[in-house]
Order: sequence, then C-alpha cells, then structure tokens
Amino acid sequence: MEKTQVKPTLPQVLEAPSRFRNPIGKYIIKRSPDCTACGLCARLCPYGVHPHYDNYSAVLRPRMDRCIGFSCRDTDHYCIDHCPQKALTLAPNPLLKTLGDYRWTAEMLLGHWVMAETGEVPTVDMEYSTGNSGGGFDRMRFKTPDPGSYIDVPDEEIDTSVVLNRRGDGRPELAIDIPCYGGGMSFGSTALPMLIGRARAAVQLNTLTCTGEGGYHDKIIPYAAHVITQVATGLFGVREDTIKRAPMVEFKYAQGAKPGLGGHLLGDKVTRDVAAIRQTVIGNALFSPFPFHSVYSVEDHKKHVDWIKQMNPQALVSVKVSTPTDSDMVAVGSYYAGAHVIHFDGSYGGTGAAPDIAKKNIAMPIEYAIPRVHRFLTDEGVRDKVCLIVSGGIRSAMDVAKAIALGADGVVIGTAEMVAVECVRCGKCESGRGCPRGIATTDPELGIMITEEWAQRRIVNMYLAWRRQWCELLRRFGMRTIKELTGRSDLLVHLDYLEETERQSYLCRSGNLL
Amino acid sequence: MINQKMMEKILASRARLPRSGGPIRKAAEEGGCGVTGFMASVPVGGRHIFTPSVQMHNRGNGKGGGIAAVGLSAVDLGVSQQQLDTCYLLHIALLDITARQEIEKSFIEPLLDVFKAERVPTVDDYREIEGLECRPPDVWRYLVRVKPEVLGRFIQDNNLAAIDTARAEDEFIYQNSYRINQRFYASMGKQRAFVLSHGRNLMVLKVVGYAEQVAQYYRLDDFHAHGWIAHQRYPTKGKVWHPGGAHPFIGLDEALVHNGDFANYYAVCEYLRQHNIYPQFLTDTEVSALLLDLYNRTFEYPLEYIIEAMAPTGEYDFELLPPEKQRIYRRIQSAHISSSPDGPWFFIIARNNPYQHNIQLIGITDTAMLRPQVFALQEGEVQIGLICSEKQAIDATLESLSAEDSRFCPVADKYWNCRGGSATDGGAFIFTVEDSGNGGKKLTCTNKFGEVITTPPNQAHYSGSITLGHGTGTQEKQDAGKYLAAGDQTGLKDYCSCHLAGWSYPELAGFCAGIIESAGAGDQLKARAIDILTWINDTPADTGTKKRSSVLLIIRDSLKAVFRASPRVGTTAGSRYRLIDWQNRGSLQPPQQPGAVLVIDARGFPPEGEDCDAILICQAYRMGWKQFICFNYCGQRFCGCGLDRGSDGVRIDVYDSSGDYLASGIDGLEMYVHGNAQDQLGQIMARGKLVVYGDVGQTFMYGAKGGEVYIMGNAAGRPLINAVGSPRVVINGTCLDYLAESFMAGDPLKGGGFVVMNGLEFDSRGCIVEQSTPYPGSNLFSLASGGAIYLRDPHRRVVSEQLNGGEFVDLKAADWKLILPYLEENQRLFGISIEDILTVDGEKRDYKDVYRKVRAVKLDVLRRVELDREDRLDELEVEVEC
Repeated sequence: MEKTQVKPTLPQVLEAPSRFRNPIGKYIIKRSPDCTACGLCARLCPYGVHPHYDNYSAVLRPRMDRCIGFSCRDTDHYCIDHCPQKALTLAPNPLLKTLGDYRWTAEMLLGHWVMAETGEVPTVDMEYSTGNSGGGFDRMRFKTPDPGSYIDVPDEEIDTSVVLNRRGDGRPELAIDIPCYGGGMSFGSTALPMLIGRARAAVQLNTLTCTGEGGYHDKIIPYAAHVITQVATGLFGVREDTIKRAPMVEFKYAQGAKPGLGGHLLGDKVTRDVAAIRQTVIGNALFSPFPFHSVYSVEDHKKHVDWIKQMNPQALVSVKVSTPTDSDMVAVGSYYAGAHVIHFDGSYGGTGAAPDIAKKNIAMPIEYAIPRVHRFLTDEGVRDKVCLIVSGGIRSAMDVAKAIALGADGVVIGTAEMVAVECVRCGKCESGRGCPRGIATTDPELGIMITEEWAQRRIVNMYLAWRRQWCELLRRFGMRTIKELTGRSDLLVHLDYLEETERQSYLCRSGNLL
Repeated sequence: MINQKMMEKILASRARLPRSGGPIRKAAEEGGCGVTGFMASVPVGGRHIFTPSVQMHNRGNGKGGGIAAVGLSAVDLGVSQQQLDTCYLLHIALLDITARQEIEKSFIEPLLDVFKAERVPTVDDYREIEGLECRPPDVWRYLVRVKPEVLGRFIQDNNLAAIDTARAEDEFIYQNSYRINQRFYASMGKQRAFVLSHGRNLMVLKVVGYAEQVAQYYRLDDFHAHGWIAHQRYPTKGKVWHPGGAHPFIGLDEALVHNGDFANYYAVCEYLRQHNIYPQFLTDTEVSALLLDLYNRTFEYPLEYIIEAMAPTGEYDFELLPPEKQRIYRRIQSAHISSSPDGPWFFIIARNNPYQHNIQLIGITDTAMLRPQVFALQEGEVQIGLICSEKQAIDATLESLSAEDSRFCPVADKYWNCRGGSATDGGAFIFTVEDSGNGGKKLTCTNKFGEVITTPPNQAHYSGSITLGHGTGTQEKQDAGKYLAAGDQTGLKDYCSCHLAGWSYPELAGFCAGIIESAGAGDQLKARAIDILTWINDTPADTGTKKRSSVLLIIRDSLKAVFRASPRVGTTAGSRYRLIDWQNRGSLQPPQQPGAVLVIDARGFPPEGEDCDAILICQAYRMGWKQFICFNYCGQRFCGCGLDRGSDGVRIDVYDSSGDYLASGIDGLEMYVHGNAQDQLGQIMARGKLVVYGDVGQTFMYGAKGGEVYIMGNAAGRPLINAVGSPRVVINGTCLDYLAESFMAGDPLKGGGFVVMNGLEFDSRGCIVEQSTPYPGSNLFSLASGGAIYLRDPHRRVVSEQLNGGEFVDLKAADWKLILPYLEENQRLFGISIEDILTVDGEKRDYKDVYRKVRAVKLDVLRRVELDREDRLDELEVEVEC
C-alpha cells in the first residue's frame, strides 16, 4: 500500500446477485391467472421487473425487488394500469414489517443489498441512509449546500483516502483509499469464506480488514498486507509471526457494545477447528478477560505498544477502546503512548453476541464522543499527528460522512459488510449452529452458503456505491478530498435543535443524497 | 488517644473551611507512573534518587515529577536539630511570585512565628537542566510554629481544649495550608500558589518534568536525608504548565506517591466529604494522602489498621487470621470498605512520626496486585530498605549509593514481591529508622503485622575494590587457573562448593582473578570461565560469613570483566566472541565463524524504541548470529522478542537487571536469565525454552501457547493467565495469586500444558526447604478449562476453598511419567534433585504422597449447552464477537 494516490484505481463492479431465489423487494406485484402473456408489461417496464424472453412465451415471476412501486403511477409505463387483462396488482411488501429493526430498517437493509449487488444506489424509493432510531445519526442531516459551491469533477478525481500514520516516525505512511476499513471478526465468530471475501475486498479497495480475536487463519495469509492483527485481552491466536506480518496491529481494549465485559465464546461454538486455531479445549467456553492483565495504566499501555513496535518495526499501532466518559483523556494518552490510530467504538455496534443488557447501555454514543475527542486533540495541538477512527453503529455512506464531519478521519465497518452479504439482522449469531444465512458461523453446512468470490464482490460493490455518495456530497460542498470534511460539524444540523418549520423541511426529504 | 467526641470536633472544625462548589472531576487521567523510594539508616544525598528516576523515564512522560525527603539534615538546612524536630517546614510553590507577599501578609505573619524564611536555592537558569522545558516554581521555605495566642484562639473557637495542644497545632497548620490552597490554587481564577508540604522534618518539591530534575533544579544533590521518594508522573493531558498535580501529596507529616488509578475516585471523595475534607488538586493521589491523614491523625489508627482499611484482607486469607484479628478487621472493613481504594494502586509513603520519634518508609500493595512493585532490604554496617516499581530501579539506587559510600553494596540482600491483603505479611512493608541507642540510627523492616524481616545474621558486606593482597588469594588464583586449564569443570564446581563458605573476601577475589586471567587464554578457557562464574552466580550456596549480595557482586563484576575482554565487533581477532556496545553498535557485521557468540553490553542502550538492544539482537540474528550473551542490563525491555517463528537453535544468556517483556512471543529460541527477572515475561510465548535463575514478576506467560519454562524461585501475581496450547512450566517456588486463571491448555496427558509448582525455597545455606504453604493465594486455577497444576503439597496445606473451577485428584502413573522428565531437567538446571523433592520431613515418600494434581472441572458457566442428540456432538457452532 503506497502513499495516497491522486487517482486511486478503483475496482470494477462485478455483479453479485442475491443467492436466494426470491430477492425481497419493497413492493409485491401479483399476477393473476387472467394474464395472457402478451408481453406488454415486459416491454413497458424500464426496470426489468417483468422478465420476458422472445423464445419463451410462458410468464415468469416478476422481479419484485426492482419495482419502484406507486411512484410509477404517474409515468407512462405503469404496468398495473396498462395491463389489458388487469391481471397485475401492486401492494407494499408486508414482509418489510418483519424485517430489520429501528436502527437497521428494512429499507436500509434492502438498499444495501441493492448496492452490494449492483454497485449502484437503489432506484427504488427507499430510505437507506437513515434509520428509525430517533437519535444519533438518524437525527442528523447535512445542511443544504449552497448550489454555487458545487464543483463539477468526476468521481475519479475526488480523493477519499485516509492516511493512517501521521506521526512522522519513520514507519510506513500507510494510506487507505476509502475512509473505511473492516472491523475485527474472528474465526470462530464468522465463516471462513466471509473472512476471505472481506480480505480480498480489502485488497481490491486498497484498505484493511482485521482478524478479530480468534487467530490468524492460514488462508488469510496471502492477503496479509491488508490484514490487521488484533491483539485482544485473551491473546487468542496471537503469536509473534501474526504480529510480524501485519501492516497494523490493533489493541482491542474494549468493545463499544459491551465495554468492561471482555469476550465470551460459548462452549457450543468452540468447535474442533475453532479450538485448534486458538489452541484451546473443544466445547469449552472461552473468555477474554475484560482488562489486559498486563495493562492497568497508561504507562503499562505504552510498554505494550513499545513491545509490538519492537517485534514489528514496520507496523502501525491502533488502539481500540470503547467510549468512556473520559474518552478525550484516553485519546490523548494513547497518542502520547505512541499509537498511530485511535479507534473509538461507540455503543451502537456489536452483533448478536453482545449481551442485550450491555448493548447501547454502557458506552457513550459515538456521535457524542467524536466531537469531544476531536476538539480535545485539536486543543492539545496533536490532532494532525493522529488518525482518529470511529465505529459502532455506522451503517451507511451518510453515517460515515456524518462521523467524519463530526471530527473523525475514518470509520471501521463491521455490520454493514455482513449486510452486504445478506445478513438480515435476525440477531441469532450466537445461538445454536449460528447464523441461518451462513455468515456468522463455522458450521460446515451453513458455512458453505456463501463463497469467497461472491462475498468479495458484494462487499466491493457496496463500498463503490458508498463512494459514489461521498463523492457527490463532497462535490456539493465544493470539496475535492474527504479530508476537508473532517471536523466540519458546522455542515450538520441536529433535528432536535431546529425550529419546527426548519425541522419539517428536513423531515419531508429523504436522508439519501442520490 | 483522641476520644470519639474530640474526633468529631476536629472534623467539625473543618466545616468552616472555604470550599469550591460544583461537582468534582478529576483534573487529568493518569496511569501507572514510576515510583521509587528508599530509607537508609544514614542520611544520603539527593543525588541517589537520580539514576533510578532516570531509568524509569518510560514510566512517566516528563509532565510531572516530584520528590519528598524525610529525616532531613539540619546542617544542610541551616537550622538547629531542635528546630528541625519541633517546627513545621512550610514549602510554598509560587506560580506567580507576586502571590508571596499576599500569603505572608494573610497566612503567615499574623498567625505563625517564623524562625527561618528563605527561597529554596535553585540553579540560576532552569534551561541549564537538560530537558527541563517549563520553569519550575519558586519555592519559599518557612520554618514555623503557630503563635501561642493564635493557637489558643483556635482551640477555644473549636472547643478543642481536651486534646493535646500539639495535636491542635497540627490541625491548625493543616487548615491554614488548606486555606492558602483554596485562596491561591483551588478557587476559580488563576492558580497562583500552593503548599507543597508543611510537615515536620519532611519536604516535598515538584516540577513539570522528570523527578530527577527536581533534585537538579533545587540543588538537592548534596542535600542529605534518611528517606527519599520520587515519582514520575504520566498525566494523559498534554499541556501542563505547573506541577500542582504532580506527586507526592501530603497529609501532615507524610508524603505519598502513588502508582495506579482508582476505579472509585468519586466514592472515596464522597467519603472524605462526609468528614468535611475536600480535595483541591483533584487527583487520586491527593485523596489517598487525605485518607491516610484522616485514618492516621484524626482517627489515630495504628498503622496495621490503616493498612487494613486501605487494603482489606479478603477471601481465604481472612479465614486464616486468628479470631481476634478477624473480629477487629471485620469492624474495620465494615467501616471502610466503601472508601478503600479500588482498582490498581500502589503507595509509597515517607512519613515522620514526631510523637513516636521515628521516620518510616511504607509500601502498600492493592489486594489484586495490579501494579508492579518490588521491595528490597540490605543490612550490615548501614541498613537500607527500598521500594520501587521495578527491580532494576532498586539496583540503580544501590549502585549509585555504593559508588559514593562503600558501606552500601550494589546488590540487595533480599528482594521480594508481595500481595495486598495477604494473611501472611499483609502485602505491606515498613522500614523504620529510629535511634539505635548508641548515638546512631538503625533501620528495621517489618510487615503489616509488625513481624520483623531480617537477612541472615553474622554476615558482613565486602567493601573496597578487588585487589590481591600478599599471601591471601594467591593460592585460590592458582587453583582456579589450574582447574580451568585442565577443563575439569565438575572438579572445579566441587572445589567451589567446598570452599565458597570458608573463603574470605580476598580469597574469593583471588579465585575470581584467576578465572578472569585464564579466560584470556583462548575461547575454550573463556567458555569454561563463563560457565563456572555463571554457575556460582546461579547457585544458591552457603556463603559463610560473607553476604551473598557481596559474593554476587564480585562474581558479576568478574563476569563483566570476562565479557568485556572479548574482541569488539569489526575486529579480526581469532576469537569466536565479539563484543558490541552502545558506542560501536554501528559496526555490527555477520559472524565470521560457526559458533560465534555476540556479547552485548546493554548499558547505554535505551530501554525501548528503534535503537534498543532488543532490535539489535533481531538485526544480528538476521545476519546469522545465533549465540548471544547480554549483560550489564539496567531494565532494558523486550530482550529476545521479535526473532519470529523458527528461531530454534538460538540461545540468549541474560545477566544483570533485565527488563520487562523478556522472551515475550519467542517461538523456538532458548533464553537463560541469570538472576531475578521483571514483569510480563514470556507473554504469548509459543515455543522454545526459558530458564530463570531467580524470581519472575507479574503476569508471567500471559496468553502463552507453549514452550518449556523453568523458574528457580517464585512468580509474582497472575502467572499463566489465559494460557492455551501446551506450555510446560516448572516453578520451584510459589506464586502470590491467580495462578493459571482461565487456563485452557488441553489435556496434559494428551499433549496439553501444565504447571508444576514445588513451593520450595533455598535457605541461607543453600539448602532446599519448604515454604510455609505451597500456594498462599485465594485463587488457584480459576475458571480453567484445561491443563493441570501439579502441586507439591505433601502436608495437604492447600484447600479446595482456594480453587475456583478446579478439583484435587490423585496423581496417576501417567501423570508422574509426564512430569518426571521436566523434573529431571529442573534438577540439571537448578540442582534441585528429585530425591530432595520427594523427601518430606527427612523421609523419602512416594510421588503420590508428595504431589497433588489440580485439574479443571466443567463449570456450569463453561459447559456446552445440553445436546439433545448424541450425533450433534460433532456439529459446529458459532458466535459473533465482532
């Protein structure tokens, strides 16, 4: 990975259709037996909802996920009205009521599936940028930019890269081409094809992904230049060689979803393969202690960082912490201890395995922590020496942009990458054989539901669609680099603090940019 | 003794003190820090706090350093001894020099009789001191007593007539300083001045910088005192313009430095507030000092109870206490548990007890042993007790002292770690200096319970340099040369065993001189010389009337001489040894012959960073070097780390005060540490061999995956936590607590890991004896799911209450067969024979009667969810922990 390229070579979008026979759409189109297969609807629909082949006259099931719904009514290609037999009916898909949650709404899931499939933003009217949580990023919007500040430059000329090492300490000045890298997911928590897919995507996008705390699987080694080795409190699978091959080593002190609780892999999940890579006992639950037993103070922490730096003189060091009330002190302390990247993990993150009582209830929400830390580091005069990375419930391209505008340099993505490979957010990651969608599992049957290649394509596509959104946002604000956006909280509004009329003016619009 | 009523009146009198409103928020997070302190029976110069402070720079960040001295020299202060003993020594730091007049006008002249007032002398320009970036405050020193009429009014106003006037005067001084701080420091507005110290025969000075810069700036190098403590601060805030937050903090006649961080800062503050005590500097350390002062001066607790209130005795230890102690401790705990500091902490306190006519240095460890700490004691013509964060800092202090005063030896007689709240020593040690009765002073070391700690009696230190006198030592010199030339190492060892106890110092020195001389006669003899000197260094043997510390000093100096005689790298000598040091580190080149040994003089190398000796070892390894001798360490870290997988065949021998994280991550190589080791050894160690001829510190082998490890002495707290795979470890001593918590190392009989813990030690004659218990801690093998502990416990002293997730089972033949080869290697390395191990009360026993096995039981919390079908056993399950 070289220093920032002006024109990053972006990977191509390679189509990666849903692996399920019936992709879920926002709308349902039903075709009654009255249909005569005249083919009119197929000719009319510009979105390809009605597949039709000249040499095959039978009626095919509509591709409902492509249907733009009732907004089509005003066009001249509204199939419902045009059908001579009145054989078509349109309705909202009731399935959406059962899908998703307040943070990851059904439309956000569907929208990201489209992005992962096509590399484009959805054409269907879906609110994929903001959720329904009633707080956090969902109550924040970018201000309407002055139309005069728009600059007409192509995406290729917009720089979305982030330099991870700003200390000027002689270690590589690593840069990633998108302001995101992959969060730690361990072997044990996640299927191997998914882990490999993520690593390959990281190579293609010139960014990084992370091993999580579960050892370094041999099949990940070919992508080592793009894989962060995580050193977490259980030290599972951490060996000298895994540290020596890493471009960056991440100390995981805590997770925003469950700070102070350490890690816990239930006995059921400690299968033969998982136990082997962690060198533990099959079927016995594994604990990561909540602290590092050798680190009880910032000076211990410095020693810990020095140790990693001694073992790998080329590696950068990232320090992942949750968001305590004194996160500003933690940040500056980590910086003085020699960290290149300070990574705050806020309270919204985490998947099924974090206890419900902990999720969203302990750590500070990330949108509070970011500006506080950003300002503190700025006042200390060290903001430009350190890379501030945040995570914890950052779901969409707009969330990323908001986090950056609040003061971050970049973000870490976990859940959204899983959504890209069709996670439905059912929250069953930790139970039984694991994920019914074959993502968060090491079950040999479930784990083959996805392939490396497919996972890689989906993840790459999603990030490419995200990049299009960032580029458009930057253009509207007259910026050529995402770096300019950092700390521009003046560009944001919080809906809770607006006059009613102004609030309504934001609420009546979609949070989507494109 | 103050009665309850008077105590309340004192506390009530404080209700009138001014205070700031609003919630308390810590001024800065600060972490560990480096602490060091010593107390000697003779006054010593402030310069000796210099080296240990410098060597713990990496525990601070140069944003706060402070020192305190107790038992001061009246001559150096320019006052009479009587004044020094009776007057309060008020030190006021002026951040704004114009504040002085205001303070004097309002708080000194009308209230206090001043016997001496002076500006504490400093160097002319702070920039003369390298690295000192912020001008330290001017400090004014006042030798004062409270004016009798003022004191009378104070007593009257606060209804304190029933208490001793001297105690009332103490309280007045305390409150007066509080008012100064409140007006000039803690209230809103500019911080202009604060009181550094106000006790008798005690002073504190602080700078924004490193601790040793205090001594330099305030010209304390030749200022003499019995006790010194120093602190390197590590505030996580970047901009610090004044040293108000730096340690030490004071109560009245005590100064306290602290390494750690309270989890319950606010709870402790609340407790103090209930007693009308309001923090003004907003750090953990300040509230610790305030708490101490409350217990000591207001509640008049004896020291033992103060320690119990700070570090309560818990769990199994509590049960071991005699019933009478339990009764008192239970009451102390119910009164103070909510205000006892929680989290990692370690205090060093220097105090003057004017009413008991003694001065003390106290070290108190938290009950979970979360901070590194080492105690040391040296007795002889002069006595000294030391407490530090790192052993190497103790050695540095002693080295500095011995260079000036040959009555001090650079090696202490005794080093130890301790466990807070333990039933055996309480995890706290006190060095008390008082009149010896013959005009001098004597130092006594006691533990929390008042039991005296001593070193072997009737032994004398060696002073002076090693020179050969006429007649003495010449025979030994010849013998040494003869044996070495003949290559009879076994004979030589027998010869040494035979004579070491009986030799005088000159005879020992003569022997060593013979070894050093012969070592110059070729590689073969040099190897033999290193072997025999190392063997003496490593073997606990009877040293007769000689102090073992002095014997070690002579042996280690001889080893250094042998090592230093090696040709330097870059030269073309025929020898396979090459010496590299800080000066010629740039000349490193590949080895010129097979079996080449790189001898690294570590002195001068930074303890970490791009230029550290550990990186040099990696570079040399990549060039082809496989044998290393590293000596002259003073705490350099990470030795042996970074060689990567497959470093088999590499051997590193480490001498002198090695540092933290040694052998952490090693994957194949062998390391031999000839002496005590520090903290965090062998973390994530994967393969290879580690041998320590001494004790190891905290969190040894945390997260280790494998390897073969032999420890001659004890391990401190938390060895082998979260270890997996197949580590095979023999610890001949014991460990403080939390051994093998969350151990997950499979089934030892099927290739998994285990720990053999022998619970033995060497007495002063080099004989193997049993420790009082093979395992004193309350937590053994907690939450372990695999592996085993083989505990030498013939008297069945360890009880199942100490286990939390393990169970005792009898040894089977397979177990014995498994551990026997390791005990054999242990015998070869340390001379601890299997026969001795199996001998109990003079009688040889069967292994089944000597060893007990602790193995993991399946705890509910660890158990697999009940499986409804047998065939699901092989199915694989998952969790996400992104």
